[in-house]
Parts: sequence; C-alpha cells; structure tokens
Amino acid sequence: MQLDAAAPRGQLRRRLGAAACALLAAGLPSAARAEATGDWQLDGSLLLYGERDRASVFEPVARISRLFDNGHRLSGEFAYDAISGASPTGALPSGQVQTTTTPSGNTVTIAAGAVPTVLFRDDRYAADLEWQAPLARTARATITGHFSSEKDYLSRGGSASIALDMFQRLLTVTAGAGVNADEVMPVGGTRVGLGDGTQMLATGTNPKDVTSGMLGVTRVITRRWLVGLTGSFESERGYLTEPYKVVSLVDPVTQEVSGQLTEKRPDTRERKSLQVSSVYHLSEDILYLSYRAYRDDWRVESSTGDVRYRFELADGRYLLPHVRYYAQHAASFYVAGLVAGEPLPAYASADYRLGPLRTATLGLTYGFHAGSLPGTVSLRGEYMRQWLANPSGGDGEGGDDARAGGVQLAGTATAAALTSVSGTPPLHIATLLAGYSVNF
Amino acid sequence: MTFRLRPSARPIALALALVALSGLVGGCSAMHVQPWDRDLLARDAMKINPSLIESGADDHIYFSKEGSTGGHGVGGGGCGCN
Repeated sequence: MQLDAAAPRGQLRRRLGAAACALLAAGLPSAARAEATGDWQLDGSLLLYGERDRASVFEPVARISRLFDNGHRLSGEFAYDAISGASPTGALPSGQVQTTTTPSGNTVTIAAGAVPTVLFRDDRYAADLEWQAPLARTARATITGHFSSEKDYLSRGGSASIALDMFQRLLTVTAGAGVNADEVMPVGGTRVGLGDGTQMLATGTNPKDVTSGMLGVTRVITRRWLVGLTGSFESERGYLTEPYKVVSLVDPVTQEVSGQLTEKRPDTRERKSLQVSSVYHLSEDILYLSYRAYRDDWRVESSTGDVRYRFELADGRYLLPHVRYYAQHAASFYVAGLVAGEPLPAYASADYRLGPLRTATLGLTYGFHAGSLPGTVSLRGEYMRQWLANPSGGDGEGGDDARAGGVQLAGTATAAALTSVSGTPPLHIATLLAGYSVNF
Repeated sequence: MTFRLRPSARPIALALALVALSGLVGGCSAMHVQPWDRDLLARDAMKINPSLIESGADDHIYFSKEGSTGGHGVGGGGCGCN
C-alpha cells in the first residue's frame, strides 16, 4: 500500500491517493504499515567478508516474519557464521624469529618482522525470535529472544521495548531494555591475566552478563524529513578479557621483543552512546545522515559519521553509495607492549580494537527486481580500511593517542625509542552482501 | 560516569544534537504534515533504518572490529568475536 512518489501523477490524484493510504494505514501499527502487501515476509542474505592476509567469514542469514490479522507480528531469524583465517595475537613484530604457543598447544613460529597471528576456525549458530504486539492504536510492544553458540562462546539474551506514537503519529518515543547471560569458554582453559600463559584459572566457563537500555525519539519534521535521536547504555559484568590475546614484553636496552604475557581487562564496562539520524526525501532521491558519539569507562571514546544517498532509477531500481568514518580514542590500558622488568600495570591489552583506531568505509548497493521474481534483490560491495592513528601525527591530541605505536604505559623508556618497535599495518577488508526480500 | 566527549568531537556532537533537538521539540512547525501528506514518509525507504539486511550485517561487522557499540536498539546477540 505504498505510493510511488516518482510516478507522474496529478496533484489532486496524488493527494487523494495519499489520503486513502493514510486512512487505511491508521488502523495498523506503523511498523507493519509499509509491509502489508502480504502476511509473510522473507529476508535472506549472504555475507562474504574477507580481510587481506587475515580472517574471512561466510554468513548466510534467513529471517521469516508472519503478520497476523490482529496486528501481531512474529519473526524468526537464523544465522550461521563460518569464520576462519589468521587473527593478530596482539604481540609486536620482532626483528628476530618469534615462537609462541597457541591455546590448543601448538607451537607457532613467526617470521622476523611479521605481525604475529594465530590461525583459527570457528562456527557460530544463532537464532533470534521477535514478537511485536499492538497495545493500542498508538502503542506497540516488542519482545525478543536470542541464542547463539560457538565453540568458546555461548550467548543467551532477551529484550523488551515499547513504542508510543504521539501528536497524530508525528512523534514516536521508544524505550527498551535488554539482558544477556553469556558464557566464555576459552579453548585450552582460562589463562591467568598478565601471566606467562601457563598459569590457569580453575574456571573453564566464565560468565559475562550484559544489561542494556535505550530511549529513542523519532520525529516527522516536514513531509520530506524525518529525524531521530537515540541514547543507549550498556553495562557489562564478568569475563571481558580476550582469552587468546597477548602483550609483548620489550627489552628496554635492545628494544627487541623478549617475551609475552596474556592480556587482562577490567571485569566491568559501562558504555553510553548518543546517535542522531536524519532521513530527507528530495524530489526523488533520499539522503540518510547519522552521527554517533560513544564513551565508556575504559576511556574508549569514538565518533562515527555515516552518509548514504539513494538514487532512484527506473523500474524500482536504485543505487545507494555509502561512506562511513569512525575515529576512536584508545582505552586507558591499551599498550603496544610492556617494558620487561618494570612493575606490571593492573590491566593491559594490545588489542588494536582498543587502540586509537580509525575505520573508513566506502560502499555501493544496487537494488532491483529480478525479472519475474517477486520481491527485491540487493547487492552491496564495500571496502573498509582500518588503521591506528599516527602516534606523532596531528590526529592525536597529546593524550591517549601518544601510545598508538609505542610501548608507553608501563616503564621508563622514551617514546622515540619505543615507536621503533611499533608495527600494526593498515587492515584492508572487502565485503559482499547479497540480499533478497519478498512479501507473500 | 559522566558523558564527556573529546574537545574535537564536541562541536560536531553539539551542533547535531541541537539540530535534532530543535526539530524534535519544535512541534508547531510539523503540525501541518497531515495524514494525507505522508505519501513520501510511508515509503519503506523513508525509515531511519530502511534495510534489516544491511543493518544486521553492519552491526555484526563493526561490533567485532571496533571498540564501540550502540546507537539503536537493545538486546541482540553477543559473540566471541570481541
């Protein structure tokens, strides 16, 4: 029941058509309004993800939804991930050959000058259920449940949210809360943090509990313009350490890697974010803008900007270029390495995802109807580049980023000496996403 | 924990928040968007999050490759990827 704005119609006819549409839609929950061409909806996708010289992911996802006559909607989503390849351990490259032991007990030799990585393979199975129910003409509730399993991680969770339309549906307020009771079961056992890797904790299964909440407002500004503001928080408790990551020990005299310790992170994390979004309909095309500010008590702070532009083509086809930029300040305990012989800090991680990370994404989606096949097909290709900010460059503000490439947190060695052992090269990632959606 | 941004990010966040808030709470200007004027807004593509397929893939990718999360929704699955 959606009108095609691009079709050349007379003004009166357009308004009459829109009025009829609005009257019919008034009795339906807004989430179901635009999808009411059939009782069932199928969304399927296949994601191919590849990092140069690193990991690759193959992920098919299927989501089936049923809209009932009373306005209720039940959805089930099933996903499978096959993840394999090489993952950086967090250790620094060395001028000499390094030897390390994987969690499963294999000895790995790292060539001189190479970023130490470990080969891995995992399969992940996930199932999600979602139930939407109208509470009144202008309110609806959504309940979700989640389960996923991989060999070293189990996730169980659920959420509830309520959306309320106000001012003739010009304003929608959404509030929700969720919980997760996850478990981390490291392969080979749980190693003591900041240990040499041989000391083990007695616990093979480590709980990780997550509670989250959000409050969002969506507002119709004009006939062409919709904006949204969403604030969210997340509280994590339990085992938050990456069980396979390590931190290099660097000899302060030779500047060479002399050993490594397991990493250790705090067992709590409080995250907050605020996102502003805008959707603007031009004469035919649509412009999407969003900005997210994020902060947590590990002192990771980030800004994310996202721009998409939907070019409407003939016959329901469209092109949608996408640009995204992400900039993050390092966690307070992020180090490239630790100085051997110095007192150990309470926490330390060399995981680049907690460093002064930047991500740039460029993508293009093409959507079309495939011949006589009902529904819409979309094909998206994206390129992502990730890198750490230059420790001495203009990107840093003299704060966290000063640690970017060097061993800066513990020890007395100078930054000039220690940046010479830095060596995290940019990561190049390509993704291909094929999607198919149909009502029937 | 207070929510404070780095100095470089504050002007951007402030400007965007002000634009959004002025639109969100400045109710009178929008009251002329009558139900029969919502043909464009009724399009699937006029949602804040128009593609479940793309947003689902993006959530998974960025959650596992960056240190931040959040921005829309609650719940969802954890994974050993981060």
